[in-house]
Amino acid sequence: MKIVHYVNQFFGGIGAEEEAGRPLEIREGAVGPGRLLEQLFGDGSQVLTTFVCGDNYAVEQQDQLITDVLNHLRASGADLFVAGPCFEAGRYGMAAGALCSAVQAELHIPAVTAMGGENPGVDLYREELFIVDSGASASAMSQVVTRMVALGKKLVAGEEIGTPADEGYIPRGLIRDAFVEQNAGQRLVAMVMDKVNGDPFESEMMSTSFEPIPMPAAVADISKARVMVITDGGLVPSGNPDGIEGMAATRWGTYSIKDKDGLDGKDYEISHGGYDPRFVEADPDRLVPLDALRQMEKEGIIGELHNEFISTSGLANPLSNTRRMGKEMAQRVKELGVDAVIVTST
Amino acid sequence: MRLTLARHPVTEIKFGDETSLDGTALSINESELRALLLEDQRLESVGLDVVRPGENCRAGPVFDIIEPRAKADGGSPDFPGVLGPSAIAGIGTTHVLEGAAVTVVDCRPTVTARAAKRSILEMSGEGAARSPYSALQHLVLTPRSRADVPSHSALNATRMAGLKAAVYMAQAARTRQPITTETLGPIGPTEPGREGLHRVAYIGQIYSRQRSPEIDEHIFYGLNTTGMLPVLTNPNEWLDGAVLPSYDTSLGGAETYFYQNHPVITDLYRRHNEGELNFVGAVASISGLDNEDRDRLCQVAAHLVKWGLNADAAVLTKHGGGVPHADMAQTARLLERMEVSTAVMVSDMSRDRRVESALLFNFPEVNAIVYCGGGDTKWTVPAVERIIAGNPQVEEMLAQSQELMASSIAGVVNQQGASHVRAMTY
Amino acid sequence: MQITSALPIAKMVGSNRVVLGNGIVHVAGDPNLPVNEEKDLRRRLVQKALDALESEAKE
Repeated sequence: MKIVHYVNQFFGGIGAEEEAGRPLEIREGAVGPGRLLEQLFGDGSQVLTTFVCGDNYAVEQQDQLITDVLNHLRASGADLFVAGPCFEAGRYGMAAGALCSAVQAELHIPAVTAMGGENPGVDLYREELFIVDSGASASAMSQVVTRMVALGKKLVAGEEIGTPADEGYIPRGLIRDAFVEQNAGQRLVAMVMDKVNGDPFESEMMSTSFEPIPMPAAVADISKARVMVITDGGLVPSGNPDGIEGMAATRWGTYSIKDKDGLDGKDYEISHGGYDPRFVEADPDRLVPLDALRQMEKEGIIGELHNEFISTSGLANPLSNTRRMGKEMAQRVKELGVDAVIVTST
Repeated sequence: MRLTLARHPVTEIKFGDETSLDGTALSINESELRALLLEDQRLESVGLDVVRPGENCRAGPVFDIIEPRAKADGGSPDFPGVLGPSAIAGIGTTHVLEGAAVTVVDCRPTVTARAAKRSILEMSGEGAARSPYSALQHLVLTPRSRADVPSHSALNATRMAGLKAAVYMAQAARTRQPITTETLGPIGPTEPGREGLHRVAYIGQIYSRQRSPEIDEHIFYGLNTTGMLPVLTNPNEWLDGAVLPSYDTSLGGAETYFYQNHPVITDLYRRHNEGELNFVGAVASISGLDNEDRDRLCQVAAHLVKWGLNADAAVLTKHGGGVPHADMAQTARLLERMEVSTAVMVSDMSRDRRVESALLFNFPEVNAIVYCGGGDTKWTVPAVERIIAGNPQVEEMLAQSQELMASSIAGVVNQQGASHVRAMTY
Repeated sequence: MQITSALPIAKMVGSNRVVLGNGIVHVAGDPNLPVNEEKDLRRRLVQKALDALESEAKE
C-alpha cells in the first residue's frame, strides 16, 4: 500500500504555535504519526510522502495548499491519502478535511482522516468523508491510527464500509435502509416500553435542529414600499414553462402579473404533489393574493406591487436544495429593489 | 368486548364448481362470484385471476389488499357502515382465511403508468421477498366500471367489489372447524388484574385532510371523515373492519390487510397477553387541514389517551406525508407534556437521504422515533410473463424489466408498521 | 413575512413573521364563501401580512 500523509507543523516535528505560519513542506517518507501508519498497515506498506504545513498557513492559503498537494499527488501513484489525526485542533481539522475532500473528488484517491467530535472540520466535511472519531486526546494516538488503518484498507479495497459504531467513524448523517427481523410496529412498541421503563433506547432517526434566524428589520412605511409575492405552492403558468418539479423541486420561476388585477385559473396550473390543488386552480388568488394586493396598490396602502411573482413547490425537498433556492430568490429580490415580500406557503 | 379470530389456513385457491374450503384448498365458483360482484350496476366487467407465491407475475396498480374474512352469526356485521348497517365492529367470531388475499386493481383508464408505480403486487424476485404479500395466495380482481361512472364512484365500486369478494370467499369457512382460534380482549383502562403495568395506548392516523375525501370514501364505519374528530376505539374494531384505507393510495402506504392484521395492535395485544403491559385502547385520529384544525385534532387525540384511557405510554403512526408527520409529532409532544411517554413511526421525508432533511419536527421530547421506509432501496426487477393490469398503459409499464423503488412494491414500505425496513445512520 | 397554514413547520424552520393562512389547500381564500366575502377575507389576510411587515414584534 502506498500512502501519502498530511500532518501539521506540530505533528511534523517543526514546532508549536510559533511555527503555525510555516508554508507547505514536502518530505519523503514517514514523519511522526506516519511511522505508526506504516507499521500498522504492514505488508511492506510505505508512506511515500509527508506533507507538513503550519496551521495558520493552511487555513489562510487553503487554495494554494490544495493546489500544491494535488499537483504533487497526481503523479505519485498513491493508493490512499491520510490526514491527521487532528484531535480537537480546529485549523488542522479544517485543512485535513479540505485536503481529503479535494483529493477524493478530483483524484479519486480514497482519503481518511480523524478528528474529535467538536473539531469544526467535522461539521464541514462529515458528509463527504470518513472521519475517524479520535476523541480529544492525543494519548489515544495508537488506537486512532489503528482504526484509520482498518478503514483505509477497506476504502482502498473498495469494500463496503459498515456502520459508524462498527467502524469507529463519525456518523456522516446519511440515511441508509436496512432490512431487519422485527417489523416497524414491533420496534415501535419495544421502543416506547424502553422509554416508559426508563431503559436506554436507540431512536432510529434524529431530530433536525435549525439555527435561529435573526428578525429582519420592519418596513418603515408600507405605503411607500415595493411589495412582492413569493409562493411555495407550485403555481405556474399553464404548461409549466420552467419545468418546476412537483416534489423536491430544484427550480423556481418568475412570472409576470403586469396589468393583471387578479389571476385566472385557466392561465395557470399547480405543480405540487402535496396538496389538493383544485381550489387554487379554480382561483389562483387563493394562493397568490393578487386581487387584494392590486386593490391595495390602487388605494395607496402599499407603495407598489412588483409586477412578477416568484414560485416554486415546497414538498419533500432536501434542505441543501431549499437553502440554495432561498439564497437565489433573496438575491433576485434584492436586485429588483423589492422592500417587502409576502411568502405564501401551503 | 371480545373478538375471536377463527383461522383457516389456505395454501391454494382454485376455481371449481362450488365455493368451498376443502382442507387448505379454497375452491371458488367463478361465475357465482362474478355475478355477485356485477350486481353493482356501475361495473361493466370484473376479471378474476388466481396468483400464487413465487409466480412470475406482477399486478397493478394495487387499490387495496384485503384478507378474506367473514363474520359468524351473532357478532357484529361484516365491514359495518360499508357492506352493512353501522354497528360496532370487533364483537363475536370472525372466520379468517389465513394465507389468502383479495387484491383489487384500480382499472380506471385515466390512471397513468407513473401513478401505477405507487403500488404494485410483485410475486417473485428480490423485491417480492421483502413484501409479506408475496407469500399469500391471491385472488386478483380487475373491476372495470362503465365509461359514464365518475372517477370517485368507480373507486367506490372498486372498494365494494374487493370487500364483497373477501367476505364471499371467507363465508366458505363458516361451516368448517378452524385450525387455530385466538380471542382478543376484553381490554381497557378499567380491566382488573393489570395493576402495576404500564398502560399503553395506540394513536393511529386514518386520514389526512390535505386532500378532501370523496363523498363516498368509506374510511371509518363508512364515514369519509369530514368533520370528524379523533375517536376512542377498541382495537378490535380496527382488526374487524371498522377502518379502511383512503382511495388515495399515494398518501398512506396502507392496505385493509394490515388494518385487519395491524402490526402495532397485534404486538400490543401479544405483550398484553404475556403480561408485559396493559393495552388500554386505541384512538383513530386525523391530520389537520389548517392550524386551528390541527390544534383541535391533536389536542383531542392527546386528551382521549390521557383522560379517556389513562395511559402512561402511547405509540403513534401517521397516514401520509409531511402534514401528518407534523401532526403526529405535535400530538406526541402534547402527550409528553402530560407525562405520557411516546414513540412515533415516521417515513423518511428527505430526497437526499440526509439526516438533516429527514424530519419535519424538532421537539426534543419526541425523541423515540421508528422509521418505516424511505427512498433508498430499489431493485431492478425482470420482465414478467404474467401481467394483471388496470389499463393498457399500465400493462405496458408492468411488463418491462425496470428499477422499482421499495415504496412501489406493496407491503415493503408500510405506515401501519408492517415494514421490515429501518434506517441506519452512516 | 410568511402566510401559511402549516404553522409548526414555519416555527420549526425559524420564520419570524408569520400570519396564519386559511387552510393548506387555499391559503388565501375560502371556496365555501360567496365571492365577495372571500375577497374580503383575502383582503383582511393581506392587511395582516402588511401589518406584520411593519411591526417589530412576532405575530
